[in-house]
Amino acid sequence: MSSENSSQPPTEHVGPDYRPAMQKPTATVSTSLSHSNVTILPSTPQLLSLLTMIRDKNTGRADFIFYSNRIIRLLVEEGLNHLPVVKHEVTTPVGRVYSGVKFEGKICGVSIMRAGESMEQGLRECCRSVRIGKILIQRDEETAKPKLYYDKLPEDIADRWVLLLDPMLATGGSALMAVDVLISRGVPEDRILFLNLIASPEGAANFAERFPKVRVVTAFVDQGLDEKNYIVPGLGDFGDRFYTM
Amino acid sequence: MPSGARTQYSPPWGNASIIGVAGSSGSGKTSLALAIVASLNLPWVVILSMDSFYKPLTPEQSQAAFRNEFDFDAPDAIDFDVLVERLQAIKQGKVAEIPVYSFAKHARLEQTTTIYSPHVVILEGIFALHDQRVLDMLDLRIFADADGDLCLSRRLVRDVKERGRDIEGCIKQWFGFVKPNFYRFVSPQREIADVIIPRGIENKVAISMVSDQIRRTLASKSAQHQLELQRLGQIAEESPLSPNAIVLEQRHQLQAIHTLLLDPATSKEDYIFYFDRLVTMLISKAIDFLPFEPEQVITPQNRMYMGLKGSADMSAVVILRGGSVFETGLRRTIPDCRTGRILIQTNPKTGEPELHYRALPPKLKTDGLVMLLDPQMSTGGAALMAVRVLVDHGVPEDRIVFVTYMAGRVGVNRVLSVFPEVRVVMARMGEDMEERWVETRYLGC
Repeated sequence: MSSENSSQPPTEHVGPDYRPAMQKPTATVSTSLSHSNVTILPSTPQLLSLLTMIRDKNTGRADFIFYSNRIIRLLVEEGLNHLPVVKHEVTTPVGRVYSGVKFEGKICGVSIMRAGESMEQGLRECCRSVRIGKILIQRDEETAKPKLYYDKLPEDIADRWVLLLDPMLATGGSALMAVDVLISRGVPEDRILFLNLIASPEGAANFAERFPKVRVVTAFVDQGLDEKNYIVPGLGDFGDRFYTM
Repeated sequence: MPSGARTQYSPPWGNASIIGVAGSSGSGKTSLALAIVASLNLPWVVILSMDSFYKPLTPEQSQAAFRNEFDFDAPDAIDFDVLVERLQAIKQGKVAEIPVYSFAKHARLEQTTTIYSPHVVILEGIFALHDQRVLDMLDLRIFADADGDLCLSRRLVRDVKERGRDIEGCIKQWFGFVKPNFYRFVSPQREIADVIIPRGIENKVAISMVSDQIRRTLASKSAQHQLELQRLGQIAEESPLSPNAIVLEQRHQLQAIHTLLLDPATSKEDYIFYFDRLVTMLISKAIDFLPFEPEQVITPQNRMYMGLKGSADMSAVVILRGGSVFETGLRRTIPDCRTGRILIQTNPKTGEPELHYRALPPKLKTDGLVMLLDPQMSTGGAALMAVRVLVDHGVPEDRIVFVTYMAGRVGVNRVLSVFPEVRVVMARMGEDMEERWVETRYLGC
């Protein structure tokens, strides 16, 4: 399923509107996808520079953790914006009425171990006391298919919106299985948000088609997969770079 | 707003008043200047000593100086060109680097003293009323008069105690240079003085007359500054919101955070948590204005990625005290951000913003982005002053991004009509002239 040579990666002049094209540096931007349930963060120069930091094989672990966490926070902020709110009026400290909104519904995070756990800090920085469940899925060496090894999820998960966390979406095997687990616990498909840093075009398309009601939020759709099903150009093994390298 | 529409703003330290105090060596000019400053008790009055402007000596002159055979008491010893240049800078409200002269080494030292934003400068030196170019800039000319014997004895005590000279050398200088120069150059300045003050600091009446005069000048400067702000307010009211005012997109999460922050029933803990979260969004928006350049990297898959990196450093300047509430969020996004601080307080009597303190990072002018942080902009007076401080310190206008929680249209326009290339990033538009409450809520007092 190697697709990397099928097309050149898209490049663009990136930068704010007010800057003339001449002054916008050229960079590789995210591959676009037509699926309406996939949200790709806008390729701002800032986001691309953060991605550049974490893709560079010479970036050390401390920087890798810090800069990936900054992208994860952007993902969480974007993801949370897809949750519903209800109208809520308050009187401000200077005595004016402000017609605002408040958060509606309970949420929880579910991280796909181990790389997904790296996204928990970013989630907690936006939602302090959020409950976080875990799912461990590993590739079965005999069948070469993903296998569920362990899960621990909030009892009332069926009543919650779920933010599913996994930074890399290559073939999408684990993510698809994780969604199956959530649905089997009674979570409606349209209450699942999948937060992801880098996806392969085929992985993202496959996922979006299998679960058209799950909202996917990703920072970047890469060029493709190599013969070992690694995302390219990618950033290597996210879990290793975050936890052990 | 096109740059042609730029309006002018003169800060209260623009067109500083300069007061010259001349008089014989030992006549008590310095004590007189100090007494005037003490009687005013205001932070915006500085003393500039002409001793700082002695010309650096050549090796031969320096040897002569160590033999007490160099004439320090003639106008030629003073570098009037540099003095005039620095006074002009002060007069225009710019940063002026004042040389430091070492009497022990008879040389100018490497370091300089920075003078910035005084409203009144007292220039004291034996030749303060000597050079026509200096005279043209003076608002008040004072000549300090004293008995010759008193002058000699004061000078002896000072030179021996403070400047490490010996008595014989001092007496040699007095009769060789000081006394003849006094009759030739110093005394004639008496003729062009506005006020001649005898008996130095003992002359309480004269000191209070001079300080009253300065107080009147300061009051009229303050009134002018307030008029200036009003004038800019009118311009601001008549124009639509500038496109350089950038308001964060009001999406659900942001609206919900606004609602929490605006609700007085929200706990202090929650208020701080959500405010910090909001600040990271604001800082992130501001960083979009940093210039970026292409950067190619190799990924662990040994593939090339054509990415970007910031082409210069970023820094921040906190406008105290309110701006300090941005620091947690700032450091979450840029942990090692170099951060300057300026204290601008609004005078409760007049409503006029006043600059009390500044400590700026030295490399500010080469940074690709300088964020000015203040959670609330209402009249825009303090913001205008803060931007002006950065511009005076060499920061290009288009690299300044003013980051605020909320701002009113008139305040924003007031700043952007004077500095049209500055950008204002805010979380939401507020009412015009809203009272400050954001930092009080965050800091709890």
